[in-house]
Amino acid sequence: MKRLMAIMAGVVVGVGLTAASQASAESDVRLTGAGATFPAPLYKKWVVDFEKAPGGQNARIDYNSIGSGGGVKGITDKTVAFGASDAPLNKKEIAALGGPEAIVQVPSCAGAVVPAFNLPGVTGEVKFTGELMAKIFQGKIAKWNDPAIEHLNPGIKFPNLNITPAWRSDGSGTNYVFTNYLATQSEDFKSTIGTGKQVQWPTGQGGKGNEGVAAIVQQTPGALGYIEVNYANANKIAYGSVKNRAGKFVKATTDAVSAAGSAAAAHFKGTVLAADLWNQPGEDAYPIAAFTYLIVYKDLNNLKSMDEAKALTTFLHWAVTSGQSTARELDYAPLSPEVQKKVIEALDTITYQGKPVK
Amino acid sequence: MKRMGDAILGALARGAAVTVVLMLAVLVGVLLVRSIPSLRVFGPGFFVSSAWRPNEIERPVKDASGKVVIEDGEVKTETVPPEFGALPVIYGTAVTSVIALLFAVPLSLGTALFIVRVAPRLRVAAPVSFLVEFLASIPSIAYGIWGLFVLAPFLRDYVEPPLSRLFMAVPGLGWLASETIRSAGGQTIAKPLPLTGRDLLCGGLILGIMILPIITAVSRDVLRTVPRGQIEGTLALGATWWQSCVAMLRYSRAGLFGAIMLGLARAAGETMAVAMVIGNNNQLVPSPFAPAQTMSSLLANEFAEAGRGLHTSALLEVALILLVMSLVFNIIARWLVVGKGARTAASA
Repeated sequence: MKRLMAIMAGVVVGVGLTAASQASAESDVRLTGAGATFPAPLYKKWVVDFEKAPGGQNARIDYNSIGSGGGVKGITDKTVAFGASDAPLNKKEIAALGGPEAIVQVPSCAGAVVPAFNLPGVTGEVKFTGELMAKIFQGKIAKWNDPAIEHLNPGIKFPNLNITPAWRSDGSGTNYVFTNYLATQSEDFKSTIGTGKQVQWPTGQGGKGNEGVAAIVQQTPGALGYIEVNYANANKIAYGSVKNRAGKFVKATTDAVSAAGSAAAAHFKGTVLAADLWNQPGEDAYPIAAFTYLIVYKDLNNLKSMDEAKALTTFLHWAVTSGQSTARELDYAPLSPEVQKKVIEALDTITYQGKPVK
Repeated sequence: MKRMGDAILGALARGAAVTVVLMLAVLVGVLLVRSIPSLRVFGPGFFVSSAWRPNEIERPVKDASGKVVIEDGEVKTETVPPEFGALPVIYGTAVTSVIALLFAVPLSLGTALFIVRVAPRLRVAAPVSFLVEFLASIPSIAYGIWGLFVLAPFLRDYVEPPLSRLFMAVPGLGWLASETIRSAGGQTIAKPLPLTGRDLLCGGLILGIMILPIITAVSRDVLRTVPRGQIEGTLALGATWWQSCVAMLRYSRAGLFGAIMLGLARAAGETMAVAMVIGNNNQLVPSPFAPAQTMSSLLANEFAEAGRGLHTSALLEVALILLVMSLVFNIIARWLVVGKGARTAASA
């Protein structure tokens, strides 16, 4: 009987607590962002951490990783408070959003794409150049023991194995970065395959998402795929170093990507910040990298109240400053101080119905 | 009072039926309208083109002798617009469906015959029926994961290497295991395909397993409608058990064909499992060991990021083709199974 009473008391308290939390939830500000899948693990951590950060206690932000295209569509249709995209907005998209004066686009962090491979029995660091990868993904080099590969890696004995190129079959920022980088390294690649979020590869296999490409690489001896560095690290997939513009072979690390970002910051102008991170100068810069972007309206009149506008700008400020240490923990490259300064300047221009949000 | 209840229920039922029909009409209508940009640009060529390139390409203009044209000291470039064609996915859908049927039809008809003619009804037939139908309740994604991690490596290591060697050794069958590629010199050469297990064969087999339950269940019901007199008649005329079974199959051939068509419709529309094991390459290579793409796997892969414009329109045109195809398969199947007055699972 005593036990029954205890259970009943527990139930009553539990119900009370739920009611209380529901009551407080009603006064909360709720915002939704949507877009890119590549930074989704970071953004999802950010929105949870932000609830404990100063200014974020009353805010609940949801992030839906529906893809960059969906993020741009969402912010254009004003169905989300902020959009996220791996590729910067193009001219047409900016026009659809009301022109460069109407929006703020800032990088939130940067990521690297690495050549991941499955070579049983091969140890040591495998080196790649952009030119070599362009030929492999065009089907012009089909065997691992090709002289071009052996010449680049004199210490390594490669097996007589077919190369199975593995690529992203879905439209993605990863494709965008990788093809743009290869286009800087090979004129032939640029004029036959070209660049974009999705291209037509002449050979190999497609996987949906990083996990799809990773599955192909892990299962297929001889596969060479390109995936996000954090995904490769988390799944312990081997990847090689890539020759950068300065002629050095660099393995992707958060520092090597941040180094590439510093060089690119000089190109930032206005409030629509965009810079290509691939093939940047600098001794330590990793060459296959890109920013990922957050997009909001400069005047947040798509939101319902000043409170919402405040919560959103506080979140964005917090993300590009305090949130950057989380980025590093999750293998995303944090913004370098030069980039951060420009990002904060752009965020400071945000208004709500003409009034500055502070 | 009773009369009013009748009226209300009648109206509700009528409304429900109209809603369902309207939903299909709206679906076709929306797909048709959104496909218009693609229909306009590519026309009927959409069905025979094997290009699928969503990105623009900027390339140097070359003159007749193959030299780069230079204007005002700069290399003159041209922009090649995106190009779409549905032939590779139509081909991929057709081939995986055929492989699926080759695998599933003998197994399904055998099982159905076993359940109807061989197995003691309660002790064996009921559990076998249940287990086969249980296959239908396994989610598509589970088949996909099994295909990706179990079936594909198995095919790659144990089934495809001997088959590939066999095809390459027999004159005239080499095309079944090789692809022709354009070499650096410009001539085309055939080289054996690297075997990965994620290809048309694997996609077809997975589909075959997935359509087993529907074909088995419908053909079991069709076979049960064969009049007892018919069976006993054949036996009385001195037919062996085997001959009697053949007569039974022949008697219900229209219904069985309908069952197969229902399986085909399901195979053509199946998405996630196929997308995981087919290799997702929009190419047209005749070998079953080549990675390929089906209409539905193409949609699953590309729709989310296609953005606005021609790419989405082309994808929706593919969806429209798929919808019309499934509709035709289903109509033929219903007509064959139900139209003959048979009471089967398909008519329920």
